[in-house]
Amino acid sequence: MADLKRSPLDAAHRSLGAKIVPFGGWDMPLAYPAGTLAEHRACREGAVAFDVSHLGTVRVEGAEAFGALQRAFTNDLQKIGPGRTQYTHLLEPGDGSVLDDIIVWWVNDERFDVMPNASNTARVLEALGVGRDVTGERAVIAVQGPAARERLEAVSSAAAAVKRRDVATVEWNGAELTVAGTGYTGEDGVELAVPADVALDLWSALVAAGIEPAGLGARDTLRLEAGLPLHGHELGPGITPLQAGLGWVVSWSKGEFRGREALAEEKSAGLRRVLRGLTVEGRQPPREGYDVVMEDRTVGRVTSGNFSPVLGRGIALALVEPAVAVGDAVQIDVRGRRVDAAVVALPFIPKKGI
Amino acid sequence: MSNVPSDLRYTADHEWARLEDGKIRMGITDYAQDALGDVVFVQLPEPGTRIELGGTFSEVESTKSVSDIYAPVTGTIVGVNTELADSPQRLNEDPYGVGWICVIEPADGDAYDTLLDAEAYSKLISD
Repeated sequence: MADLKRSPLDAAHRSLGAKIVPFGGWDMPLAYPAGTLAEHRACREGAVAFDVSHLGTVRVEGAEAFGALQRAFTNDLQKIGPGRTQYTHLLEPGDGSVLDDIIVWWVNDERFDVMPNASNTARVLEALGVGRDVTGERAVIAVQGPAARERLEAVSSAAAAVKRRDVATVEWNGAELTVAGTGYTGEDGVELAVPADVALDLWSALVAAGIEPAGLGARDTLRLEAGLPLHGHELGPGITPLQAGLGWVVSWSKGEFRGREALAEEKSAGLRRVLRGLTVEGRQPPREGYDVVMEDRTVGRVTSGNFSPVLGRGIALALVEPAVAVGDAVQIDVRGRRVDAAVVALPFIPKKGI
Repeated sequence: MSNVPSDLRYTADHEWARLEDGKIRMGITDYAQDALGDVVFVQLPEPGTRIELGGTFSEVESTKSVSDIYAPVTGTIVGVNTELADSPQRLNEDPYGVGWICVIEPADGDAYDTLLDAEAYSKLISD
């Protein structure tokens, strides 16, 4: 594990006493001494800051940028414009499965910042054929929670004013921040890309403003409650956007894009599995890989599961046969024991943002 | 630094044991709870269950993983901390106190003495 990358905020995490774990090729904080459950609640009730510097940034500039992204990704960039962000997918041409799920920050007329998952940056760059990897030049901090904007106001009122799904550049202490009204918790908030050399100063200012540090453990339980997919679990090899219930990410009206043909074939043939939410009776967390059983027959498999701090019970996302519908009673095979579960509508908790 | 009380005995699997009137009360160590992170579920054993030294008979689940609990001695479960069903966080808050898991009637009265002492366990977790 010698070549794990370190975030520009690494020193801050270590001095805060964070548990550091390898994630997507990076050394990242799993939890701070408060612990995952406390960090989760802080995000649902107050405001937290996540270091998400492990997300990639591929910068695409110039006249070819729009066309290259429009041909590569599933969503239609004509639905947005400069100063807006868009969630989109990059597909495998062969089978239409999701090579990566991405947020595009259309920063201005000249510049797109494409934000892939940590370990997919090189593949996204290769698929685009344009752009450069600027991941190492910046840190990214996600500030999330119902009090996120109010507390961020004390650090940068311009950053706090960036609206949901907008993106803007903001000056802070002489440095240029790129701020997007995006996140991955189901709460309101923004994500701030900050030059690496001022990242520690910004992080300290955010923490001083009462925004509590939260690690990847809480990020995962938060996104799960919000019903948001994680690449490598609900998306990835063999899993298409349609199976994951993300048909809205695919624009059939925009013309050609990578993987369109394979996806159109799946659409006309019918889906062989779909993503559903499950809640179990009791606190036991279902885990990835557990079988979902209905009337003594295996009908699918858990892709992510954990304990929901808000609901006080185990929850899971699972890929199941399309006949398994919301309201059905199923069981989850927990290491040989059958646990009762219900198929429920997603998200698990009321939606406040995406 | 993890807390390793000097009056308890330990296993290499990070359980602690305390001798009480010939019976053994047990739980997981401070080191174990810290490594697990926030505990959200404990699969409690049934009273009366026979357990074998080194066999698994309970599970502790945190937000990040599942961990088996191993029998520190051969014997029979005679007491279970049912409070853990609704308050599993007690394993984090007070692993040697209200976070105890169960009480075992050992088959062999000398089994307790074969467990690691605090010094040996401290050395194990510092290596």
